[in-house]
Amino acid sequence: MIDDRCRYSVLVASLLAGVMLLACSRSPETENKPPETANQPAQPGPAPAPAPKVWSLASAAAPYRGVALRTIGESLPPLEAMAKLTEKFEKSTGIEVTIEMYEHSEAVNKVMLDLNSRRGRYDFILQPHRELGRFVTNKHVLPLDRFMNDAKLRDPSFKPGEQLYQKQWKEISWYDGNVYGFPFTALTMYLWYRVDLLEDPQERAGFAAKYGREMAVPTTWQQYSDLAAWFYRPDKKFYGTAIQGKRHEALWYEWLNVLYSFGGDMLDIETGSECGPVVVNSPEAIEALEYYKGLMKYSPPDTRNYFWDDLMALMQQGKVFQVLMWNDATYAVEDAKQSKVAGKLGFAVTPQGKGGKVGQVEGWTYLIPAYSKHPEAAYLFIQWMMAFEQQLEQHLNGGASSRPDVYADPKVSEISYSQASMDTMAVARPKPTIPESPQLTEILVRELSIALAGKKTPKQALDTAAREMSQLLGSCAPLKYPVQ
Amino acid sequence: MKKPKSIGAALATAVWDRGVGVAFLVPGLILLTVILVGPFMTTIGLSFTDLSYALPDRDGNFVGFDNYRRLMRDDPVFWQSVITTLQFVAVAVAVEFVLGFAVALLLSAHIRRRRVVLTLFLVPMMLAPVAVGLIWKLMLQGDFGMLTHYLRTVGLLGEQTAVFSDPDLALAAVILIDIWQWTPFVTLVMLAGLLSLPREPYEAAIMDGAGRFRIFRDITVPLLRPVIALVLLLRGIDAFKEFDKIYILTGGGPGTATELLSVYTWRVNFRDWDLGYGAVCAFMVYLVVLILSAACHTAMTYARGASGNEGRRG
Repeated sequence: MIDDRCRYSVLVASLLAGVMLLACSRSPETENKPPETANQPAQPGPAPAPAPKVWSLASAAAPYRGVALRTIGESLPPLEAMAKLTEKFEKSTGIEVTIEMYEHSEAVNKVMLDLNSRRGRYDFILQPHRELGRFVTNKHVLPLDRFMNDAKLRDPSFKPGEQLYQKQWKEISWYDGNVYGFPFTALTMYLWYRVDLLEDPQERAGFAAKYGREMAVPTTWQQYSDLAAWFYRPDKKFYGTAIQGKRHEALWYEWLNVLYSFGGDMLDIETGSECGPVVVNSPEAIEALEYYKGLMKYSPPDTRNYFWDDLMALMQQGKVFQVLMWNDATYAVEDAKQSKVAGKLGFAVTPQGKGGKVGQVEGWTYLIPAYSKHPEAAYLFIQWMMAFEQQLEQHLNGGASSRPDVYADPKVSEISYSQASMDTMAVARPKPTIPESPQLTEILVRELSIALAGKKTPKQALDTAAREMSQLLGSCAPLKYPVQ
Repeated sequence: MKKPKSIGAALATAVWDRGVGVAFLVPGLILLTVILVGPFMTTIGLSFTDLSYALPDRDGNFVGFDNYRRLMRDDPVFWQSVITTLQFVAVAVAVEFVLGFAVALLLSAHIRRRRVVLTLFLVPMMLAPVAVGLIWKLMLQGDFGMLTHYLRTVGLLGEQTAVFSDPDLALAAVILIDIWQWTPFVTLVMLAGLLSLPREPYEAAIMDGAGRFRIFRDITVPLLRPVIALVLLLRGIDAFKEFDKIYILTGGGPGTATELLSVYTWRVNFRDWDLGYGAVCAFMVYLVVLILSAACHTAMTYARGASGNEGRRG
């Protein structure tokens, strides 16, 4: 009897101990999940076990000495800044890094061909996050858990759960609850305007006389178009604004700012990896497109043939008063060697409408292809690039970091556009990253371009887009608004 | 009496005369199979599948004629691009032919230093299409383009109009650029044809008192018919496949104003990665080119038949 009781007590005690151990431990998946708190640094997660005695990059990279890594990305200042940093990594690890730089679409297409050929040309890739869904669902990219939980590879001081903007990280590099990368650039669009003209006494007096209010940084779309109208001086080859009207992804990205702030959206979803009802032809969306099209009146004559490079060039030449542009392009317009208006610009969050203060977040993300020949060495490089020193250096040379401590650095605070970038990130909204996302973009780009060309009304164009988007996505994306 | 050949000798002759010939053909046939027949058959095969590099569940399942059905019934953008392509080909090739023929006549009859003029005239044709696209993009750029400036100065272009931003002007501009680039090619071929014509029919016609127009209509054109058919065929096929210039100049826009079939096919295949449906689009391009080739071949055969009959009557 006593023996039975003893045995019973031991069993119960063991069970209790087991339950307590389970409660105290955390699964790798839970560890890598960012908390839901928007844009707030997360609480630190536990370091991977078993922890090595002393972790160093040199010792972690020792097995991969002599390896040559190859990557690909968009030829813009952030990648050029990364290229300058690689030498430091190569010296300390003996791992060589080769970077291929291409125009946006070319960089995406080359990666698609490489992934589908399964040749493994690239050991890690830099891609826009709208591509993430198709990469993940086709098993083209590796989840990073296996590297992050490997004590030999994981730098204990790298704690993405607390060192990165969580909302951005989740939006840019996560899919369906799993982490696949880290943000290469956390991109957003905001307002660029000519502060020297805005503060010019003559301009201010003239504007006040015409509009009955002081000239100020536009916070609403009405104010934005009033300023565009005021500064529209085609006889002097100076324009109130310019839109990115070319049949190109740029058109879609730019219009999303207007769409979101007018209270519209493409799909009725909460996170990028969801599928939901199509709402791109809502009354708010139609109103947003009508407004956007109206801005052509104050734009240069070739505005339907512009994309981001053209707008940047126009601003650099001092031909336009205000535009909506990307944070990773701001570096070039504030560089006196390249720009006539360096130091004469102001930056602010995109004007708001019924949808409130909102921005669209986009980003390029580091990913490791499933066919990478050296995934561990690639992880080491990515992890090294995400460290504060490299992020700061890259950000100061045209990058767009996703680390809050980089923005807190005094050197970064001095940059004229840092505040606008951070303010917009704080109100950024997710966009679809499902496998069909690039096709949804293609449909919308075509229909937006047709609407701008005047071949369809905004309603007709968005109805067509909604119908095609619903057909493409199938039963998960019924039409919420009727189409004609 | 002829001595009969031994079996060995006959075999050797056969192998030497025929076998070696066949052996010489083999590398060419293999190359043809690998680079032409293979991809063509693959395209046909793909057109009956749902292969997509973008979507996870579509890994090349057989779908019968679904893609063809979708093309015929549910794809207005494709048919719009067919219409745009036909407009592009018809106008560009017709103007190139008329201009090219006229210049060839001029060169053959009135220009003495023909070689120098012809070499200069051929420069646009020798440029890479991408270079042509970039040159014209800069020339017609809406804000600082040199040609835009002069067109506005003489009043041919409104101050607030830009060629590639205007849906009504963009296609016309692209056609004009194609004419600028390819008229020299027509000239070159037609000039070669003109210079190879026999002199006798012309001398006879002059003796009979025929005027210039009559000689042109009843001697030059009939004799040049095979060359005309060839040049129209080559230009027709080439114009139908035009891609580079459009990609550089307009990307198919504004809207779908300059979206030719080749650009649309590229979009479906390499933007949407919808390879099954993209194969159908590519196959349609092939079909149209095949019909064009057949028409031109018929024209050439007809010409040869006609001249043969004339020869027998003579």
